[in-house]
Amino acid sequence: MNKIKTVARPAERKVTACGECRSTCQSACKTSCTVGNQSCERIQREENPEKNR
Amino acid sequence: MVHVFHYKEHYYIFDTGSSSLHECDEKGALLMREKLGEAVDTSSVSETERKEYEADFAELERQGLLFKEEVRAYPPKSNEVKALCLHICHDCNLRCRYCFADEGAYHAKREFMTLEVAQKAVDFLIENSGNRKVLETDFFGGEPLMNFDVVKETVYYAKEQAAKRGKRFLFTLTTNGLLLKDDIADFLNKEFENVVLSLDGRKEVHDAVRKTVNGKGSFDLVIENLKNFVKIRGDRHYYVRGTFTAKNLDFSKDVLFLADSGFDSISMEPVVTDIPDLAITKEHLARVCDEYDVLCDKYLEYEAKGKGFNFFHFNVDLEGGPCLSKRVSACGAGNEYFSVLPNGDIYPCHQFAGDKDFRMGSVFEGKPDENIRSKFKNSCLFTRKKCDGCFAKFICSGGCSANNYHYNGDIDEPYGITCEMMKKRVENAMHILAVRKEKAAREER
Repeated sequence: MNKIKTVARPAERKVTACGECRSTCQSACKTSCTVGNQSCERIQREENPEKNR
Repeated sequence: MVHVFHYKEHYYIFDTGSSSLHECDEKGALLMREKLGEAVDTSSVSETERKEYEADFAELERQGLLFKEEVRAYPPKSNEVKALCLHICHDCNLRCRYCFADEGAYHAKREFMTLEVAQKAVDFLIENSGNRKVLETDFFGGEPLMNFDVVKETVYYAKEQAAKRGKRFLFTLTTNGLLLKDDIADFLNKEFENVVLSLDGRKEVHDAVRKTVNGKGSFDLVIENLKNFVKIRGDRHYYVRGTFTAKNLDFSKDVLFLADSGFDSISMEPVVTDIPDLAITKEHLARVCDEYDVLCDKYLEYEAKGKGFNFFHFNVDLEGGPCLSKRVSACGAGNEYFSVLPNGDIYPCHQFAGDKDFRMGSVFEGKPDENIRSKFKNSCLFTRKKCDGCFAKFICSGGCSANNYHYNGDIDEPYGITCEMMKKRVENAMHILAVRKEKAAREER
């Protein structure tokens, strides 16, 4: 790659639907929530086992 | 689809199918736009350069990071309810001009939720939550702290009932801060996962719309309470949440005012109202988008100086974000998330509260109305046809059902003004992500 730099290279986009993620509306806005700025709860928990969620 | 955009001298290519973000220069962006069928002048690109870009495009495509086909199928939504918004108090000690909730009354009589109703709502949530272990309850109003005793007793009750069923609750609360004294602050700090504090920014901006019952500005009455709360909050989640209107289109100054005041977790939302002197209209859009750019520059400047803060809408998690199912099914209102009014009536979310067409039964009936629920359950990104050609669709999920309905009469018809602001914020967030990655790479070298 000479000319283009990859900034974000996501893992394969999963179709998991484990349902563990939080409700978007509990975050901050209550009017213009953005699902994409949440993180996956399962990934977070796996990375931080002490969260025990 | 592929989206080409630039932020000042930074050029980006975003591939929606793979959710990959690439940075290039102006010539690379030109060539990609040409590849996408746009009529662009590429005379500044030499043949050698063209070959190099083409080779890069081909390599990215080979790696599945460019022109990746978008997923069109996802698992059916479950019937598990995960969250409730408890309208613990349909009354407020402020009279904010832009309040969507009719200054707390929701176009009905002012009333408080009783402990009996709140407990019934908790039972309803637990009973309808299936195998889900973590449940969420948001205490909302009006001003929920006007009914603090019921908030407190409901928290104790929910914890006790959840423990019996091997579940647990995460509590959140939204407050204007007027009653946020030490004893209440201690309780919220101990029991609440997230607390949302309403404050619009500069005193004159805040006071122009957030007024007391006597019509005076409320800034001086809340600011110290909020600062003290955040001081003792430590590293637990909170957001200071402001609203901007047509009267403060220079809202970046309000965000920075909040940051300078010691709040490091901030959201600033466009007002949702038809009030002529406050509403954000098409005519304001260019100005609002410019202001997001001003904020983006300042945000990075603050971060570079070690004074960084978290701005809710400048987060975009491309690498570890939600799964496709979540991105497609959006906020979950009306299916996995409901609002409960003081009398126990259920609505798809707080924005639909009181609209009889959307009444979904009562917590005393045990189950939500399946007719209305199915409308929300069947609604998703793929039923929002206008979103088909939008690069931000897997990030915004087709917008807020309530906004769509209130402005366009259909939960699946996205509201254009919100879309434009969303797209701008997503581009800003992607630029911020790129700058951070570049900085991290430099530090590693």
